[in-house]
Amino acid sequence: MSTTQDSPKPTKPKAARKKKVAARKATARKAPARSKPVEKPVSVLIVGAGFAGLGMAIRLKQAGIEDFIILERGNAVGGTWRDNQYPGAACDIPSNLYSYSFAPNPNWSRSFSGSEEILDYVHHLVAEFELEKHIRFEQNVAELRFDEKQGIWTATTDSNNTFTGRAAVMAQGPLANCSFPSITGIEDYKGKKIHSARWDHDYDFAGKNVAVIGTGASGIQIIPELVKVAKHVKVFQRTPGWVMPRPDFATPEWNKLLFRKLPASQQAMRDLLYWSHESMALAVIWNSPLTRIAERIGKWHLRRQVKDRWLRRQLTPDFTIGCKRVLISNDYYPALQKENAKLITWPIARISEKGIRTVEGIEHQVDCIVFATGFDVSNAGTPFPVIGRDGRVMGDEWKGGAQAYKSINVSGYPNLFLTFGPNSGPGHNSALVYMESQLEYALKGVRKIVGEDLKVLDVRKDVQQRYNKAIQKRLARTNWNSGCKSWYLTEDGYNATMYPGFATQYAAQMADFKEDDYETA
Amino acid sequence: MASIDLDKMLEKIKSTQWALSDIDWDAPGAELITEEQWPKLKEFMADLMWIEHVGARAFAALAKKAPTDTLREIYTYFHAEEQRHANAEMALMRRWGMLEGDELPEPNINLRIVIEWLDRYADEMPVYVLGTVVPMLEIALDGALCTFLLDTVKDPVCHQAFEKINDDESRHLGVGFTVMEMQGRSASYIKMAQMMARVMDPRLILGIASYMPLLNKMRDNVIAMGLPEEKLYKAMQKFERIGGRTEEGRRNPWFQLIKQHGRWVTNRSNRVYHVPVDALVKVTGMVPRKALPAVPSWVKELTYEPTTTR
Ligand SMILES: Cc1cc2nc3c(=O)[nH]c(=O)nc-3n(C[C@H](O)[C@H](O)[C@H](O)COP(=O)(O)OP(=O)(O)OC[C@H]3O[C@@H](n4cnc5c(N)ncnc54)[C@H](O)[C@@H]3O)c2cc1C
Ligand SMILES: [Fe+2]
Ligand SMILES: [Fe+2]
Repeated sequence: MSTTQDSPKPTKPKAARKKKVAARKATARKAPARSKPVEKPVSVLIVGAGFAGLGMAIRLKQAGIEDFIILERGNAVGGTWRDNQYPGAACDIPSNLYSYSFAPNPNWSRSFSGSEEILDYVHHLVAEFELEKHIRFEQNVAELRFDEKQGIWTATTDSNNTFTGRAAVMAQGPLANCSFPSITGIEDYKGKKIHSARWDHDYDFAGKNVAVIGTGASGIQIIPELVKVAKHVKVFQRTPGWVMPRPDFATPEWNKLLFRKLPASQQAMRDLLYWSHESMALAVIWNSPLTRIAERIGKWHLRRQVKDRWLRRQLTPDFTIGCKRVLISNDYYPALQKENAKLITWPIARISEKGIRTVEGIEHQVDCIVFATGFDVSNAGTPFPVIGRDGRVMGDEWKGGAQAYKSINVSGYPNLFLTFGPNSGPGHNSALVYMESQLEYALKGVRKIVGEDLKVLDVRKDVQQRYNKAIQKRLARTNWNSGCKSWYLTEDGYNATMYPGFATQYAAQMADFKEDDYETA
Repeated sequence: MASIDLDKMLEKIKSTQWALSDIDWDAPGAELITEEQWPKLKEFMADLMWIEHVGARAFAALAKKAPTDTLREIYTYFHAEEQRHANAEMALMRRWGMLEGDELPEPNINLRIVIEWLDRYADEMPVYVLGTVVPMLEIALDGALCTFLLDTVKDPVCHQAFEKINDDESRHLGVGFTVMEMQGRSASYIKMAQMMARVMDPRLILGIASYMPLLNKMRDNVIAMGLPEEKLYKAMQKFERIGGRTEEGRRNPWFQLIKQHGRWVTNRSNRVYHVPVDALVKVTGMVPRKALPAVPSWVKELTYEPTTTR
């Protein structure tokens, strides 16, 4: 890793965006950063002010628990959607499903909203539920430590501030840390380097020769936008993904009105979307006849949009659909065929002072390299040390791959709840659907700790082991474990990321909080 | 060349990459090409460059069919490396003033047929067909011809380029023979049967029909350049020697087939083979270019320019 960029700097927005962002910052900045340790532990300590952390906060408030704080390393809320402001950034799950059911937004302007609109929704959540006063900005948690005698979690930040809570929620995001990839010679490059998740809005692409490395979810959104403005765009692809058509359209006014006047209609829409995504699990998660149909749709989309046989070959995936994240786009393939764009599939040999050298011996000289190379996922460790009972360290225990009980608790780390924990990732449905059931579960746990004044609520080791044995057995039969390399798997091919089942199954498992599964004190 | 550890090989490949810009294509020495040499060299280089390019395409097909991730990645690199050879050879041609109006040299008709075949059918061939044919081509046409070339051309830049090319080639051969042995190890009667069925496959017959005249055509080229054809044959016998070194290698049915073919090629007195194939060379030489479809777009990725902004 050459440069770690895990503390996002405030982006300097262009004039057009300035006002909006200034307004956002005003709300964001209100709460002063505290430097003294809080005397009395709060009930809940939350790490991260993205969808997960804020959602937890809202549910706590709705349940009447007010003494919690959120520690956020950035200077604004929003997580993923604050950081991923690259041109073309948008969700790929319909907005009506990629939002919280307890805070519906009737005004989504499109079926798949852009990053800005999603960020506005997050800000709206903060305002509506009066969360600002709970947030401590610029507090980068460097360690979480449990004191068993007192039953208290202490978060220590990188500037040595400490915060304490009886329960803790880790909501630091699954895709929050990024760095430039370790390609030989990257430090020699004299041109501009931009990471998709840390966009530089001041850089003007007009008239520039640009390289984009990576053709995953972010890459395929950025490329069509860059092709519109840059002089020339070279796209460096390692593995082509499955690209499906994207049923994107603007929401008509009558529809927004209907949702406003008749919230039940929006719930009905959400249900419809939910069940249509649920059915996609059959294609994406397991290898079934539906998988073949999905692959046919992908191939049809490619054939329809790409006429050249060789280009089509270059873009044809060689793995079962669903093994990696399924991409959706209508404008990616056409963008690659524009006069000023070119797809390069030669492997990268190194980066040089002026550009990228590929193995066919040619140096592709560019003014700017955009790295759409994804995130540093910790599927075999934790992003900062988490220390539990008797000084055990979660990262060490997870060396062979992360493990938890129902993705949310880890034995030996009492009163701690993980959002987006091990094996909680959906391949076919909205992450927020999964998140909601995690939040409910955590809420039950917190209520028990606070209500019964527990010092320790720790999931039993044997229960956790049994759970994981079953889940790994089920994973072995999924497309994710069918042989392709992806960020879902650890180096050794262990799947610590995805949940092998329907969202409905996951929700059912999370709705059931069994006290017997826990040891209490 | 014992069987090699493919994972280590992949690491080595990655860490020993070179680029066209590592060579100064304007350095002195171009004048060492004699006037007498020039026209034949031009034709020879054009063929050589196309063979590299065709080899590249064959590796691309192998990458699709590779049985393991490591091999897939190795073949992906080899695909690009063969392209690099073609690019470097074009850069040499340009240095020697052999490119007309900076255009791609015209491939000879046998090559055009092979290109066509590769474009249509290569991806569908099972890995052990191309996995055996490619090492043969590499030894006979690529590796061997390069050595001949260096014997006659004095230009130091040419030597510099081929030193790098040959380093790549030795790795290609190492992997090629290892894979042949791997296939031999698992060869069973079932595979034999499958193979025989394959031989009947019209797509394969087409491939063979375009491969055989190619070898004979190259032999003609070599002789035209004043190089003894025994050298070419010696190189082809090397294929037999290395490929048949181990029991596994010998057990690979494709090795047996290609080896047998190599024997026919190198035995000029085998009229049963040479008369029809030479005739085929002549016939294909008469195919009007217009009869062939447009070149596939992968051909257009060739370039002699070490750096590019487009
Ligand atoms: C480009 C992109 C598109 C996506 N599209 C979709 C989609 O369409 N559908 C879908 O379901 N999912 C999508 N996702 C996944 C997305 O990450 C989740 O849906 C969701 O936004 C995650 O929310 P979170 O709160 O868990 O994490 P985040 O939004 O990442 O929030 C984590 C917060 O924690 C903070 N933090 C991190 N470490 C620390 C620390 N040590 N101390 C203090 N604070 C810290 C971060 O600054 C951040 O604000 C997408 C992700 C990306 C990157
Ligand atoms: Fe070569
Ligand atoms: Fe080769």
